[in-house]
Amino acid sequence: MERQITIRRYQISHTDFVRFIVIASLTLSSILITAISLAKNAGAIYPQLFYFPILYATYFYPKRGIILSGICGVIFECLVYFSLFPDTLALWSATGQAILFICVALAVAYFTNLIRVSEARYRSIFENSLLGIILFDKNQFTIRLANQQVATMLGYTVEEISRIAFSDLFFSHDLQRRFFEHLGSGENIRSFETCFATKTGEPHWVNLSWSRIDDTVVSCSITDINAEKLARELAADTSTQYRQVTDSSPTGMVITEHTKILFANPAFSTFSGYGPDECTGRDITDSVMDEDKDRFRTFASRWDTPAPASDRAEFRFITKKGEIRRAVLYFTPIIRNNRPAGLVNLVDNTEWEEYRERVEQTKERRREMMRAVAHELRTPLQPVLGYLNLLLQDPQSFGVTDETRQILDRCAKSVDQERQIINQMLELSVLEGEETSLDYSVFSVAGMVNAVIAGGGYALKAEIAIDIPPDLLFEADRQKLSYVIDVLVANGVSYSKPPKKIWITYRGSPSHPFHRLAIQDNGVGITEAQLDAIFKPEGEGGTISSRENLGGPGLSLAIAKKYVQLHGGYISVDSIVNIGSTFTIHIPKKRPDKANHHDT
Amino acid sequence: MIRKIVVIEDDQPILDLMGILLKKLGYEPVLIANGLDALTSVRADPPALILLDIMMSPLSGWEFLERLRTECNLREIPVILFTASPTVTEKMKKLNDPNIGILQKPVTFDELRTAIAQFLK
Repeated sequence: MERQITIRRYQISHTDFVRFIVIASLTLSSILITAISLAKNAGAIYPQLFYFPILYATYFYPKRGIILSGICGVIFECLVYFSLFPDTLALWSATGQAILFICVALAVAYFTNLIRVSEARYRSIFENSLLGIILFDKNQFTIRLANQQVATMLGYTVEEISRIAFSDLFFSHDLQRRFFEHLGSGENIRSFETCFATKTGEPHWVNLSWSRIDDTVVSCSITDINAEKLARELAADTSTQYRQVTDSSPTGMVITEHTKILFANPAFSTFSGYGPDECTGRDITDSVMDEDKDRFRTFASRWDTPAPASDRAEFRFITKKGEIRRAVLYFTPIIRNNRPAGLVNLVDNTEWEEYRERVEQTKERRREMMRAVAHELRTPLQPVLGYLNLLLQDPQSFGVTDETRQILDRCAKSVDQERQIINQMLELSVLEGEETSLDYSVFSVAGMVNAVIAGGGYALKAEIAIDIPPDLLFEADRQKLSYVIDVLVANGVSYSKPPKKIWITYRGSPSHPFHRLAIQDNGVGITEAQLDAIFKPEGEGGTISSRENLGGPGLSLAIAKKYVQLHGGYISVDSIVNIGSTFTIHIPKKRPDKANHHDT
Repeated sequence: MIRKIVVIEDDQPILDLMGILLKKLGYEPVLIANGLDALTSVRADPPALILLDIMMSPLSGWEFLERLRTECNLREIPVILFTASPTVTEKMKKLNDPNIGILQKPVTFDELRTAIAQFLK
């Protein structure tokens, strides 16, 4: 704050007051000296004396300086007039001198004003600049001047920062040393990235550019790049992470524009056989096998729609070496550099496909063999079965005694058993080949179950309790479902001990999408370990099928399971050892759309 | 009137057996060992029913059936496919012909009787 002096109601600053005294005394002494020299007729008049107060006043107060020059001119004119009248030449000379006072004052005022304006301009730039500006001594490193921006950036006040050495602003000695090296080079530096320490000691990234003002003072502008730098570091960090992920991923990853490759990771490079640099700029279409190209183009044409969806498809590719490889492409739309692009993940399933094909071939060969074997077994069985039937049909006419008939009867039973096993084997091989279609019809479940019970004569072997709504209808393959019920009831009867009891219960509810038909027995139950095995066609049912006297479920459970699966359903088993087992058939109420998909 | 049944089967033991069984059931069996001869025979004297083996040469059961179905006076003759091949059932279903039945070898006497009775009441 400047000290103030109050005169009457005017407040005048201390500086102004002193200047006023100086100007006034200079003016007065000029007048006095001029007056005395004129009075003594010294001959020498010092009009130049007046320039001291005029220049001084005009420099600090342009307008008042001009007025003062006018006043001085008039006084000078008057003094000369008074002493030298009627010396015309001297009078004209004095008049010229007075006019010169005013001209000089005007000129000084004009130039001073120019300086003022430009100074104000620079001051305003200095103070209001978004850049931080520091003027420092390049030898002492004292800060001559720092603007508010620098102070705010580093958490100081302008006064505080002015007391710090410029060299102490650096965050570390290393950074300080590097700055000095650059400064020492003597050049004006446009961009020098470094880190300052804030008042609290935090690092703060700045960009410096400096130029020398004179031999000692350097003007340095400071741009705050802290936020930008942190963001850049974060981005670099994120980018490094992404790169690590893409580089180490076994999945081929490609960023594309249409089908042109902008970026490909090493896995894609390995897959395609092209080096990372070769990949960039290539068209994916070129790597697709000719046979698949049209399909690929259709697939890729969807990428360029305004709102592409994620998509996947499998294609065959040709590598650089000419090998054929299979891969599944997963397309995901992304935005890259503000433009739509595609991220294509590529999973190489060549080996998997080959393996799958081999497994399929093996399975098919096994089925073929089974069919051929079964066929060859069945044909010679026909005469055996036929002639045995013939003999047993009419034993008397063939002269068969009772004893022989009993033997033949046993033979016939064995042959029939073998026939059934072969038939089941064949049925299963046909089912595994998925060549079976269902004959759907709508029928009464209670009627179907009753027919099965009657047909198998189960009511004689066990107590059968049926709880099925009489009006309940199924849409299913009646014959196949009858077989399933028959197998499960026979199974229940076989594995129960007297008093045998079988419950057949409908457990559906209107809201549930499946019909559930439970067949429960009070039998020996199935252990956890056996549960997985009982539906296996290989007869790995362990202890169950080893109970020979019970006839073993053999292949029939496996066939039953397949039949239910053909309907789009499944069979579940709950069992407690020595309490009983419950087999539940789950059949969808709604017929699957593709129930007859093998008709084509 | 005794009804005539043509048996077409290239396996001689089975052919012989079928002759005996059909006679026992009260029909007149005509036993033929290959499809070409069978066509001639069937054209000359259309039977009440044909028992047809599938895996035969020179003319397979399917080929025989195809030719039979192109001739209008033979089209209506019921045919029972008599086979040991497990895939015949599916193929037969696709033909969707009510005059075609199937018997999986080996058949019992009772099964044979029932199957024939289905067509010849």
